[in-house]
Amino acid sequence: MVNRAKIKELMNESACSHSKDKKPGAGCDMPKPGMATGGCAFDGAQISLFPYADAVHLVHGPQTCLGASWETRETLSSYKGRDHTVMGFTTGITTNDVIFGGDKRLADSIGYIVEHYNPEAIFVYSTCVTAMVGDDIDMTCKLGTQKYSIPVVPIHAPGFVGGKNLGSRIAGEEVLEHLIGTKEPEFTTPYDINLIGDYNVTGDMWQYLPLFEKIGIRVLSSLSGDGRVGNIRTAHRAKLNVIVCAKSLITLCRKMEEQYAIPWISVSFYGKRDTSFAIREIVKALGDKTLIEKAEQIIAQEEKKLEDELVPYRELFKGKKAVLNTGGNKAWSIASGLQDLGIEVVATSIRKSTADDIEKAREYLGESGILMKAPASEQSKVIDERKADILLAGGRSLYTAIKKKISFIDVNQEKKVSYGGYGGLLNLAEDLKYAFANPVFKNVAKKAPWEIA
Amino acid sequence: METKKIVLSKREHKPLQVNPIKHSQPMGSALAFMGIKNCLPLMHGSQGCASYTKVFYTRHFNEPIALYNTSVSDITAILDGGDYSILMAIENITKKNTTLKPEIIGLHTTGLTETKGDDVRNVGMHVEIPYCYVNTPDYEGGMESGWALTAKALIDQHTKETTETKPNKLLILPHVSMQPIEIEKVKELCESFGFETYALPDLSTSLDGYLSEGQGKLGTGAISISDIQELGNSATVITIGTSMQIAVKALLKKNPNMTHIHFNHLMGQDTNDNFVATLMKIRQIEPKSLVKRWRGRLQDAMLDTHFLIGSSHFVITGEPDMCIGMTELLQSVGGTIDAVISTTYSPILEKINAQNVFVGDLEDAVVYFENTDLVISNFHAERLLHMQERNTGLVLRGFPNYEELGNQLKNDQLYEGSTYFLFEVANKLRGIKHHG
Repeated sequence: MVNRAKIKELMNESACSHSKDKKPGAGCDMPKPGMATGGCAFDGAQISLFPYADAVHLVHGPQTCLGASWETRETLSSYKGRDHTVMGFTTGITTNDVIFGGDKRLADSIGYIVEHYNPEAIFVYSTCVTAMVGDDIDMTCKLGTQKYSIPVVPIHAPGFVGGKNLGSRIAGEEVLEHLIGTKEPEFTTPYDINLIGDYNVTGDMWQYLPLFEKIGIRVLSSLSGDGRVGNIRTAHRAKLNVIVCAKSLITLCRKMEEQYAIPWISVSFYGKRDTSFAIREIVKALGDKTLIEKAEQIIAQEEKKLEDELVPYRELFKGKKAVLNTGGNKAWSIASGLQDLGIEVVATSIRKSTADDIEKAREYLGESGILMKAPASEQSKVIDERKADILLAGGRSLYTAIKKKISFIDVNQEKKVSYGGYGGLLNLAEDLKYAFANPVFKNVAKKAPWEIA
Repeated sequence: METKKIVLSKREHKPLQVNPIKHSQPMGSALAFMGIKNCLPLMHGSQGCASYTKVFYTRHFNEPIALYNTSVSDITAILDGGDYSILMAIENITKKNTTLKPEIIGLHTTGLTETKGDDVRNVGMHVEIPYCYVNTPDYEGGMESGWALTAKALIDQHTKETTETKPNKLLILPHVSMQPIEIEKVKELCESFGFETYALPDLSTSLDGYLSEGQGKLGTGAISISDIQELGNSATVITIGTSMQIAVKALLKKNPNMTHIHFNHLMGQDTNDNFVATLMKIRQIEPKSLVKRWRGRLQDAMLDTHFLIGSSHFVITGEPDMCIGMTELLQSVGGTIDAVISTTYSPILEKINAQNVFVGDLEDAVVYFENTDLVISNFHAERLLHMQERNTGLVLRGFPNYEELGNQLKNDQLYEGSTYFLFEVANKLRGIKHHG
């Protein structure tokens, strides 16, 4: 069942920079009625675990929870079997279950899934209603595990316990409690790592994994981009945990360090500098001299290749200025990518950033860069003052671009191609090339015949 | 997978849904409130309920979505009877954005707040802005009933009682699957007969893909709360879709002198002939020449497409009121409907004359995909069809359609929309049948 002590602990993560300025025990913010905009804890938990293609993800709740969320994320998988990430499974409880409890329905559903889909594992997500009604999901999962001899893992992250971030942390906890350390790998190498927090959206991981292979870094398991449940069970044998752009799974890494003495580092694979930096950090942490040398070789090769390919774009982007209005780590990671392409980033948003993110944003933008605390009201002025050529922001800022007659990219829109790694930078460059050339924003700014005096 | 005949029943035939097509009541309710002018749709549940709904509609309509939530937490879930989170939410939203001037609060519940049993009616006593509450647990009904319950609630709580009628005043109660342009077209037809026409809910000016500033803050529907208060004196009320019967019952209680006319749907020649005949009879005038012209075009389209459609098999999935219209239109040109898989139970399903009609999900539907020529379904069917060997066509209809653009401007209603629909289906079939 939902564990209050655990939730409290997760909301006070000591390794998280959110917690630094807070009174002891204050922890993460509780949602404020009317003000919360992001997803709930269940959403976060599902995002963190859904990419396991060999497992079935069963949502034990009423219709909204799964009905509006399945097949919405481009988390790609190379799994050869039946890919469950593009499917939706829900118990879709009815009034009867609310009154009499949904345990039997859940047990029957688990049985149905095993019979028809034969997955490697089943994740059972509790939701607000089933948590509230008090279904004994732990027991039903335990019995399922015994009966079918596959892990049936309960995930207790009902929406009302908090936001997305907390849900991801809970998912990490459940994986640690139920899966990690339950299986031994076939073999190990001194260069085994776990990738934590990259969900392989649009194939981001595939941009850098081939480089790992060339260098000799082996990914033992992933949580959870292109991941397999069988591999995460062996994660305790890795030499290093690598967190990719995900604050929420720090708790998991800290605990794995305590339990299994696995150190962790946090990296990003956006842009050239960050990708090279990330690779250097990883091989440095693994501490093998030949590996470090090999990595330097590969980095040199890849950077050279990329530089050559970027020449025409750099020419095209010369003197271009960008204003960036997006949240969290994107505030500096996309800025880094833009700078790698020779675009000057004159301002970025720090509205929702942590202290770490703000520090990084300042570092990337330099002293003259503007860090916008209230981007919605500031960005128009900044565009005028700095004569920006492009605005990269969410859909709601579209009007600013039309009014200022400058180019626009919706950074929050579901992407179809990856911007990750060295190769992703070329995708970003290609998108920017078309954005700069597109006259649409100037065209729709034109007045109608009846508006002209 | 084995083909086992599933019968039409209110009871489920398996313990779970695999690849569901059903959507929840709160989602239907949220959409209905977006069809009211200057309405602040407020979902009473955890923040995820509204966040998911927002993403769902943002991607379907490609528009910013006006939807707020009360963000019930674990503490308020236990200690609060709804008063705190609802009142605080309204205060926080209106305080943060002082330019926001909602004319009505559209409060709808979720499974969470129904389970804890909040008295959302009582909370309304403390709200200064006009307030409408709807009980829409997501463990009951579906999107279609959530939409209809909201229309009913608006009438119940806000329409004034009267015995008078304005002879020219007409109210349309459209079902949830009708897209913004379709509501506009139906209204336009009625207006061409000289009616003062209202629709409830009215999405024709909301989510209709119209470029304007400051969208996604309040509902921008074409009917206001003051219009809703005065609906009682409409001489005629027309329901489109069986789901809307609950709403019209509420209205007839407000004024027993009103005339109610029902249409199961407005797709194809027969039903539109009845619809136009009804309007002619009340107004005692001939339709405009363009209406007559479109009937001729529809008949021509029926003849042009009958060969392709008449030799083809179809599977349809979606909300009940949408399924009946598509089934009857395709059958009117000889199409064979192999299966209709509905999101939820509705009595109208009993009237669908097809080989298989039942409530289910895409796991059930996919069994029929292998042996049919064309599927009419939502976006989720696309990937499933890619996975099968047979080249089966797909026409995307219903919620959600995440990938295609311009969904709000697809018109399948009246003579005109039915014409375009037949051509779209026939052209898809041509691509499938003649090019393998």
